[in-house]
Amino acid sequence: MDKTFKTEELNSLSRREFFKKTASVSAVAAAAIMSPSSLFADDENIIHHTQWGTTLGNELNEHPYGLPSKYEHNVVRRTSSLMSSAGDMHAAVSMTPLHELKGIITPNGLHFTRTHNGIAQIDPNKYRLMIHGLVDKPIVLTLEQLKRYPSESRIHFLECPSNGAGEWKGPQFNSLQFLKGMMSASEWTGVRLKTILDELGLKPTAKWMLAEGSDGSEMGRSVPVEKVLDDAMIVWGQNGEALRPEQGYPVRLMLPGWEANLCVKWLKRLEFSDKPWYAKEETSKYTALTASGRAIQHFYALEVNSIITSPCPERPWTDLTGGELVEIEGLAWSGHGTITNVDISLDGGKNWVEANLKGLVLPKSWTRFSYMHKFTGKPLLLQSRAVDDSKNVQPTVNQEKEVMGVEGVYHRNSICTWEVTKKGEVNNVQVRSI
Amino acid sequence: MFKLDLFKLITTSVALVLSSTLLYGGSDTNALPGKYISKMGAVDGGVIYPRKDGTYTAYRYNEQSTKGVNFGRVPTANELKAWDVDIMPDGTGLPDGEGSVSEGDELYEKQCSSCHGEFGAGGKGYPTLTGGNQEKLPNGVIKTLTNQRIEPGMEAPKRTIGTYWPKATTLIWYIRDAMPYAHPKSLTNNDIYAITAYLLKQDNILIDGQEMDDDSVLNREKLMKIKMPNENGFYPNIDGPNGVENVRKFFSDRAKNIGAGTRCMKDCKDLSSKGNEPTVMKIDNEITDVVPPYSMARDLPPEVENKLESKAEKMYNDSCKLCHGSDKMGAPVVGDVEAWNKVTQKGFDNVVHNAIDGVGGMPPKGGYENFTNSEVQMIVEFMIDSSKKKH
Repeated sequence: MDKTFKTEELNSLSRREFFKKTASVSAVAAAAIMSPSSLFADDENIIHHTQWGTTLGNELNEHPYGLPSKYEHNVVRRTSSLMSSAGDMHAAVSMTPLHELKGIITPNGLHFTRTHNGIAQIDPNKYRLMIHGLVDKPIVLTLEQLKRYPSESRIHFLECPSNGAGEWKGPQFNSLQFLKGMMSASEWTGVRLKTILDELGLKPTAKWMLAEGSDGSEMGRSVPVEKVLDDAMIVWGQNGEALRPEQGYPVRLMLPGWEANLCVKWLKRLEFSDKPWYAKEETSKYTALTASGRAIQHFYALEVNSIITSPCPERPWTDLTGGELVEIEGLAWSGHGTITNVDISLDGGKNWVEANLKGLVLPKSWTRFSYMHKFTGKPLLLQSRAVDDSKNVQPTVNQEKEVMGVEGVYHRNSICTWEVTKKGEVNNVQVRSI
Repeated sequence: MFKLDLFKLITTSVALVLSSTLLYGGSDTNALPGKYISKMGAVDGGVIYPRKDGTYTAYRYNEQSTKGVNFGRVPTANELKAWDVDIMPDGTGLPDGEGSVSEGDELYEKQCSSCHGEFGAGGKGYPTLTGGNQEKLPNGVIKTLTNQRIEPGMEAPKRTIGTYWPKATTLIWYIRDAMPYAHPKSLTNNDIYAITAYLLKQDNILIDGQEMDDDSVLNREKLMKIKMPNENGFYPNIDGPNGVENVRKFFSDRAKNIGAGTRCMKDCKDLSSKGNEPTVMKIDNEITDVVPPYSMARDLPPEVENKLESKAEKMYNDSCKLCHGSDKMGAPVVGDVEAWNKVTQKGFDNVVHNAIDGVGGMPPKGGYENFTNSEVQMIVEFMIDSSKKKH
């Protein structure tokens, strides 16, 4: 038996060499399915037993916490020293590989991460949350006590308001991961903040809430009480398990649809007041300077947005030979509500057709869209444009630029363009007047 | 008692808002359960979805009463005192203490300049704190902030404490809680006032209309007399009883205030269109500095040496790499053979000695006073070893 396999393996190895020289795997895949079968060489992966089909697999308890296939080792978050302070990865951002994701959930290990003072490593036994200020009864909770409150789970995206910030003045990265990777989406589990406040008794004078983190940067932000009472949550669960340290373990604030920076990680304290605070991250940073020379402060919701994820620079159509019917697929999202429509343009925004939404369509969540296209090799300028139930329509680069200028850094949501060449290569370009 | 008042308050405010609902395109109900009712039309311009008949949008939700769910306890007075230390623009929370510009100068050199540059002028890759011309246009807007780099080579708007930060209280709060970057919360209140005084002096900020000099002392009282040059540079106005309403109003006109698209489907014109074709801007200089490098391959990962991080390496990574890992910081970079040859010429004992006592811009033990002398020696050995010529 053993012997037989060895011969087979040798045999198949030599055949592999042969294949390399004659017919590459991609050429096999590219050949039209309608061609007569006599034109094809046999695929060794079908003709011979596989190595994994003829040996015992690994023991199931090898990794008590499971890992992806080792062949998937390139599916990772990526960083660029340009998006950090002096290449220092304590104050930097890592990007989600959007080109590798399916559906509307990001695996926890691929969730984008932004930190201002490194990833705090909190001992859950020493974790405390304090809620005080303009409430009848201030409260301090251990993690176990917090988790006693009745929980809700909701699927929401989180996006850094700097997502795409490098692109205000023109395209910079030829990569979906770096163009739009400062966002991810998860099912978040926690308690609705209103449930706790119903018991604490919020005083009528309370207009603002300070959310403060317990990491070295003690991140603080002011939030209007109205949002707190609508859909804000204190969350400890992410896709069925505890939050990852990168996402604020053990507890973070979740303000669905709003800047991820407002969803304070490693949450330590919530204080209610009649006045806003003017914390560092809502004055010096996270304010959007417009061409008027004045800046928008308290910029909350991430506006209606979309991006085509396939094709994209990382996932081009170079394997297509022409004439194939292929799916144009992407993500749409809006911090203001629910996606109602996505339109596709093949000609840089001159003419548009409506795409199909697919899968779950939830508020303040990623929504998948699809449009079937016959790729003939004609060069394209591919765009997507999303619409939400607040009647927001995603702006063109020029429409957004006219109001915001090019120095605002934050909240860039204009339409993205992929240039598809006749060879099927995909490049990040912009349709804009200079 | 206040519950009754609140109910009245809510009923009137709902009535007031009803008339303006259409503006927001919001939901047609405000039936949120419980004591607190949000107004229709979210503050951000979006939709408030009702919780009604056991559903919240596509989600079923728990309709059981949560009245009486009561975990946790009331914090003690000392606990509140320990954590309720945020600082507001009205001076709430400002600590006692004081410090002078010249004291701040000395502290800044030791604690801040390695990241933020001489005089706060930046250049080290970390935020620039000071500088920038505060000259104003006739409409009161600071001129540099109107700079728009629409073409290469144009000057950037300079966002520094003097040209951008609206409140001086933010400085005290942030420096106290988050600085120095590698060991936050290690400064005394006097230190914080001194460093703040120094930074404000660099940007010629006036206290009660008076210029500061090296002997100027900053404390709570004086800080409250500072009006930052760009205090009025932000909108919408969030202050006062109408703050939240101002925000709502601002976001209700999104096309005007933050930009919006139009849903044209055929023969759409773009500002960039020349004749029939859109103008396409391509990447000028592609940024390829990404880690790990791009790859879509589905292959086996390269064999990684099973190397255990030594204690010294870990301490170096956590504490020393910040300055010794980058040539921007002025410290000899680990791995730079030439730089370390120069250092070791002084003799190993002297190098260790300097590391313990501080040398040049480096504070004693790099600011990590909890390191023992022998730990410092271990780290120095690691740094020297890692900077030897590899054969």
